[in-house]
Amino acid sequence: MERLNVTINGKAMSVEVDPSLRLVDFLRDNLFLTGTKVGCGKGECGACTVIMNGKAVTSCIIPVMRAQGAVIETIEGLAKGAQLHPIQEEFIEKGAIQCGFCTPGMIMSSKALLDENPDPTSLEVQEALGGNICRCTGYVKIEEAVMAAAERMRKGEEAR
Amino acid sequence: MNYIIAKSASEALEALIGGGGRALLIAGGSDVMVDIQAGKLNPETLVDVTAAEDMKGIRIEDGQLVIGGAVTLTEIARSPIVKEHFPSLAKGAGSVGSLQIRNSATLTGNVVTAQPAADAAMAVAPLDPRFVVLSAEGERQVPMGEMYAGFGRSSLDPAKEVVKEVRIPLPAADEKASFVRLELRKSLSLPMLNVAAMAKVSGGVVQWARITMGPVGVGPTRALEAESWLAGKPLTAENMAEAGRLALKNAKPRSNPLRGSKEYREHALPILVRRALESIAKQSSLLEA
Amino acid sequence: MKYVGKSIPRNDGFDKATGLGQFTVDVTMPHMLYAKVLRSPYAHARVVKIDTSAAEALPGVEAVCTFENTTDKPFNTSATMVTTPRPAEPVRDQTVFTGEPKYIGDEIAAVAAQTEAIAEQAVKLIKVEYEELPAVYDPLEALKPEAPEVQPVFGNKEHKNVCGEIVRIPFCAEEEFGPETMEHGFAKADVIVEADIKLPRVKQCQMEVHAAVASYKANGTLEIISTTQTPTPTKMIVAYALDLPESKVRVRNPPYLGGGFGVRIGISGKAEILAAVLSMKALRPVKLVYTREEDFLASDTRHGGYLHARLGAKKDGTFVALDTTAWLNTGAYCTFGVELLAVCGVCGTAGTYRIPYLNYAGYPVYTHQQTAGAFRGFGTPQGTAVVEACVDKMAQALNMDPIQLRKMNTMGPDDKNFFPFTVGSVGTNECLDKAAAEIGWAEKRGQPKTGNKRRGVGIACNTHVSNAAPFCVDYNAVNLTIEQDGTLRVNSAIPEIGPGSTTALLQVACDLLGVPFETATMIFGDSSAAPFDIGSHATRTLYSVSQVLKDAAEELKADILSYAAGHDFLDTDPAKLSLEDGIVQGGSRPLPLKELAYEAHLRGKQFLSTKCKVPENSLPFAAQAAEVEVDMELGLVKVLKIAAAHDVGHVVNPRLCEGQVEGGVLQGVGWAVREEMTYVEGEGFYNEGFHKYMLPTADDRPEIVSILVESEDPKGIFGMKGIGEVGCIPTLPAIFSAVEDATGVRFQEAPLTPDRVLAGLKAAGKI
Repeated sequence: MERLNVTINGKAMSVEVDPSLRLVDFLRDNLFLTGTKVGCGKGECGACTVIMNGKAVTSCIIPVMRAQGAVIETIEGLAKGAQLHPIQEEFIEKGAIQCGFCTPGMIMSSKALLDENPDPTSLEVQEALGGNICRCTGYVKIEEAVMAAAERMRKGEEAR
Repeated sequence: MNYIIAKSASEALEALIGGGGRALLIAGGSDVMVDIQAGKLNPETLVDVTAAEDMKGIRIEDGQLVIGGAVTLTEIARSPIVKEHFPSLAKGAGSVGSLQIRNSATLTGNVVTAQPAADAAMAVAPLDPRFVVLSAEGERQVPMGEMYAGFGRSSLDPAKEVVKEVRIPLPAADEKASFVRLELRKSLSLPMLNVAAMAKVSGGVVQWARITMGPVGVGPTRALEAESWLAGKPLTAENMAEAGRLALKNAKPRSNPLRGSKEYREHALPILVRRALESIAKQSSLLEA
Repeated sequence: MKYVGKSIPRNDGFDKATGLGQFTVDVTMPHMLYAKVLRSPYAHARVVKIDTSAAEALPGVEAVCTFENTTDKPFNTSATMVTTPRPAEPVRDQTVFTGEPKYIGDEIAAVAAQTEAIAEQAVKLIKVEYEELPAVYDPLEALKPEAPEVQPVFGNKEHKNVCGEIVRIPFCAEEEFGPETMEHGFAKADVIVEADIKLPRVKQCQMEVHAAVASYKANGTLEIISTTQTPTPTKMIVAYALDLPESKVRVRNPPYLGGGFGVRIGISGKAEILAAVLSMKALRPVKLVYTREEDFLASDTRHGGYLHARLGAKKDGTFVALDTTAWLNTGAYCTFGVELLAVCGVCGTAGTYRIPYLNYAGYPVYTHQQTAGAFRGFGTPQGTAVVEACVDKMAQALNMDPIQLRKMNTMGPDDKNFFPFTVGSVGTNECLDKAAAEIGWAEKRGQPKTGNKRRGVGIACNTHVSNAAPFCVDYNAVNLTIEQDGTLRVNSAIPEIGPGSTTALLQVACDLLGVPFETATMIFGDSSAAPFDIGSHATRTLYSVSQVLKDAAEELKADILSYAAGHDFLDTDPAKLSLEDGIVQGGSRPLPLKELAYEAHLRGKQFLSTKCKVPENSLPFAAQAAEVEVDMELGLVKVLKIAAAHDVGHVVNPRLCEGQVEGGVLQGVGWAVREEMTYVEGEGFYNEGFHKYMLPTADDRPEIVSILVESEDPKGIFGMKGIGEVGCIPTLPAIFSAVEDATGVRFQEAPLTPDRVLAGLKAAGKI
């Protein structure tokens, strides 16, 4: 076991972890943050995407100890109480969600994009989401939702 | 399992030496972690270099572009320095896997995992890079051609050696490079074929060219016949097409159940080589962009 | 209507956007064990010896089940097991484990242990000695007399390697069907064309892998939480196979599942039954989560195979006869083999056009490959692919515009064909016109091409069904409850697999009843939530559950209004009253249902209704137009745009409905140009993960424009038809038609990979 100091969804913690774990195992099994999904276990589907130090990463191929000193955001950290993040609201509003299994990863990839690039082009959205597979939606409404959220965030609207 | 976060390249090397062959270097980890999960690798210790200060950053030094061993592919793809001097490297680095993968994977990892069609490795291959390797014996510089030991095998040992950085000589004004990729899908897939090239073109005439291709052999494979034929010739449409055809002489494509039959790859490779050269011609203002 | 027709955001949006919604892979239970499965490395073999002693001795192992110590009662993992109508019998050709594996991946044994890692280690400790046997992989090869037999016990006795039966569907509008009938039909034709197509196996790739948590207690109860699309049929299958009373078995979703697309109509792979036998042995809850590789290689795919069609028409373009044959690769076990071949004929070959002479033969063929089963469209896409190729050929032969030819032959509301019910409303021609206009047909089709990159446009149309009746047992029950504060609760066993059906159904229920949507709720995805429901598949969920909702809402409303009309309340004739937005109107005062329900409660009365119904069936029609660009020297096909016009009868929730179209279209695009499972003899299918299976990603999709056409179907509630599966059906033939327009070559094999396209262009002398 090794000591891991990490900030997850704004909360600093210091815990003993098995260093052979993947970040996704730590999130799901140790912290019960099961919003982060596993769709393939090989970094090939994006369902396990979280934001680590501002960058979207597939947590199924990140060793947990890489999170040492890191700031990690998961889907559970986006809403402020009952107030959803604009990306979450637009995903619901625009019909970007169907089965919902890819949704947390998709939203985290979108957030990482918009945090760094508040006014993305359609191509930039597609590049940011190219590693997140969705089999339900055909991606059309997902792209619409990200664009709509970007516009709201640019206007400084927190949420509706 | 132990996990050591090295603060410098030399600290990483010490940890590897201390591991006595049972420790393994991990940079981005996109391949290592999958292999550990699948039981293909079973290291006692992982030595993580992503926090090694002297392996970070992209800089110009002594007429060379220096890319730290822990620099991610995203950092390379988006680096203004890389885009200015080697847009083809930015493109190749930006073609690997997906954004999430590129956010943790490294150029050195893309080379050391020795996949023959790795996009970032392919893009860097014709640029005459030197890999600065630390081992118990000291520091040495390894050229691209010596990085591969066989199919899917690196000449480096991740249990004993650390790639501290990659050094690439900056191009002269008349030296241009390109990268093209024949793909079934943009993200989350290896290419059917990829080709990179670099050439010095003065007054419309090729002074020298380096062309690499994959997956047609061990690692990025040089099209030596095409390169030497092209030297001294004008970069015309006919000559680019002929160079494409000659490239086949150094290529041994195999059939893959997904990414193309041998026959298809043999048909497509000359076209890709031609297109890679056309890109250089465009950059040299010999063709309309 | 206050709610139907509006794009109300889905009810489960909050759960799914926050990550708080629970899926089977998220479920844990006290005292739970983890399972792993031992699968055959051979396509066909006999287990000579199996030794589990080392696995059993491994600390942490709690149960080891094999074909030797587990029931060998034959069953069928698919819902056909319990939905096959008489006189047909379901094909029961599977067992939980087998000692004679029939494909690479067949289940030999499974282990339950304290951790997944221990279970995995234990599986590796099971020693198996196999005797390899001859195998056959191609359906046409498998039909030959010298082919090894895949199912000697359960296969068709007269036709080698046919599973169940050869599906033969004859139809003639003009004479009694006899051996000469089709010859009469073709004799009336001035022009006859033929088409062949070879189609690949493709995978559903739902994002959540198959998973189940089974909890058997020694008192004889079994509760399963799983990824099934059909909780009630799955309960029945498990109860049958394990000889348990259905009353003691419950199957539910937790309540979400990460997609289905047909792959788990019945048992999810074999997850439920494997977890159940291990739980019965260990007497502890057992969780089994397939790896993505197992999901790819050991669960149902779409049927690949061969189709041939022959179409005859008069000089003026009137179709007179169509004869189609399909030979599809069902794999090692039947699952949906027979039904799917029937739907291929009924909906795929003969549903769209008025053709007086029709004949169809469908061969579901056993091979030593993984099982093919249901995948969005269920046979209709395969049939549509070959018939639409014929129609395009006919247009060329007659020198007619393909759209004009289609429009003059599309089925009308009163036409008769294979369907054993009336056609209903038909929006096909409107779909054709709108899709054509959106793609720019008039300007683009048939233009001369030059240069290396060539563009072309194409079109195709189709139909399907809005449920499975009367082809298989299809009915469902709902249970409506007015809570004591007047709010509505709808109970149904039907799952929410992703489309948003549980939101759209509440829109329907609230409009039927006259109560507010905001406070209504639906309990779903649970065999214990309500009586029988066949599940979410066959484009049926919204359409079919709405049918029974109507009956239940009418009964419930009548009960409410007659109670409200009583002496204690409005003291009037119930016929004068109505329920609007949760308030009883038409009496001496507006009486809120909230007040009435509580007053009723104080008098020992609750408003309830439970109804059960076999739904009507309506035909959804569609046309899609495609635009492609072909890089001639590389054989690279890029799909630029799909204009998808769909006759949905009446739109219940436009945004959700568009989502069904868009998602379906992209699956159709993948099938047409990239997706394919490639078999490597001795190794199995190459495509064990997403990096080896080219389903479309967000940065590799065409522009998709969905156009909803409302034909107001007389049988659908509020005029609606189904939409779920339809989106993916005409996409492939539309793309093939566009590629033909671009290159001059009509391809006969999917997908249009660069390899194949280049070979085709070369063979046709185009490059």
